[in-house]
Amino acid sequence: MSKRDIVIAGYSETAIAFKSGRSAYDLAGEALAKLLAATGLEKDAIDGLAVTAPLSETPNPFFAVYMCEALGLAPDWLNYGGTGGCSATGGVARAASAIRDGLCEVVVVLSSDAPSTSWKANYGAYRPEFQDPQGVQGPPATFGLLMSRYHHQFGIKSEALGKIAVTQRQHALHNDNAYAKFKTPITMADYEKSRVIADPLKLLDCVMFCDGANAFLVTSEATAKKLGLKKMVYPTAYAEVTNFNGNQSCPDITETGFSKIGPKVFKQSGLTPRDIKMFQPYDDFTIAVMIQFEDFGFCKRGQGSDYTINTDLSITGELPLNTGGGQISAGQPGLASGGLNLAEAVRQMFGEGGGRQIANPKNALVTGIGVIPFARNWGTSAAMILEA
Amino acid sequence: MADDKQGRPIPKPSTYVDTAAFWDGAKNGKLMLQYCKDTGQFQHYPKPVSIFTGSRNLEWRESSGKGTVYACTVIRVPGPGLDGRLPLSVVTVELDEKVRIIGNVLNADPDSVKIGQRVELAWDRISDDVQYPAFNIVEDGKAA
Repeated sequence: MSKRDIVIAGYSETAIAFKSGRSAYDLAGEALAKLLAATGLEKDAIDGLAVTAPLSETPNPFFAVYMCEALGLAPDWLNYGGTGGCSATGGVARAASAIRDGLCEVVVVLSSDAPSTSWKANYGAYRPEFQDPQGVQGPPATFGLLMSRYHHQFGIKSEALGKIAVTQRQHALHNDNAYAKFKTPITMADYEKSRVIADPLKLLDCVMFCDGANAFLVTSEATAKKLGLKKMVYPTAYAEVTNFNGNQSCPDITETGFSKIGPKVFKQSGLTPRDIKMFQPYDDFTIAVMIQFEDFGFCKRGQGSDYTINTDLSITGELPLNTGGGQISAGQPGLASGGLNLAEAVRQMFGEGGGRQIANPKNALVTGIGVIPFARNWGTSAAMILEA
Repeated sequence: MADDKQGRPIPKPSTYVDTAAFWDGAKNGKLMLQYCKDTGQFQHYPKPVSIFTGSRNLEWRESSGKGTVYACTVIRVPGPGLDGRLPLSVVTVELDEKVRIIGNVLNADPDSVKIGQRVELAWDRISDDVQYPAFNIVEDGKAA
């Protein structure tokens, strides 16, 4: 990517709600309307759309087409993202390629989901025969297995994971979009006594499925200026990998795809971990955040606990972390999740962080994670660097 | 469903790939796993091709059922198919054939299961005529 020709020139988010009673279409409509209001863009200027496969509508293979109908859009380019929490950053990257190829000029990357209102997904495949009988239905059990292995190999200090949970909760207090029930501070003692879901995973290590949507305006710098758009950030690096180590029967499950793509995005952008002004990592579970500190080179492999404990991760700290509370403390809007971390990065870089604004938002590292497979690390890893 | 034990669904074979050998084996107390004939490696769960080569030159071979706990957790919160099973010990076992499988530990207090413990194949009865591979912890060369 590394070129400064494509920009994110607008973003919007709905509030995160639990059992909102609304659909992915309705939430998407709110996100689109807010994006148009924020940017002054005419709807019919949009000629590209990237959407994310939502848990709440996945039985419909034509969800993306239905979304165009719902929103009155007639795009020349349509992308249907199926990498879960990587679909938002992945959508921006794919939009950039499509714009460079001349397929479209003005793209909206739109993610919306309402799994706490209506869960319709069925992962099917091998799971009914080879994973469900053992009782491993959801990510918590799989993350319990992953954490146990990480602890065995490197050791986990509970106060490190607790610090991630407490810090992000503190940040969510300044986030008007965060799920209302999460807008109370938590202490390390609350973390320590929160109940165990799947050893050693605790309740306060986990996200909660909610409903919500987010949208991004992606176009070329030239078109953005022509449209009179003033605020823009440049996605200068992007990389993703799916089914990392997937051609091995016994890979080290503590090794993630980020170990491969982290160096790639730094190389593309010419930045180093020390240059990063804020880290907005995909945070389905606290351990995923800690492992990402290692894989992106903020510390060495296996030193995630000590790094977490010794680093100020607050909005005024050396590496501001998930400054809107992340998914863990703002609520996870289903598979629109990856857009939450991305929206926070863009908001900060636009200087619109309000009570949680960081001082020098000249770049951001944003990541995504998609699905937890059988006895492996996570399925897709994606990373994007934004620069002012 | 009268056949259900503790509300656990009975898996329907061969919905993803042909797994008749796995289920026939289970009926006879044998753990049958997919084996790539080109590379001499096992893979699990079963796939439509070898994950090593992409070919369909696969066969089913019996596993010794002996292995080592690679990762472990204890599920403590209710969910589908978990009625009456909590706390539930779940382990990723690295079988001696160098392939991993997720299973439940049947013979030990879930809190006592640890990475590195040796395990051997055991069978978890899901219904009167369906049993599913699970594991027992082995101590000093014999079942605990």
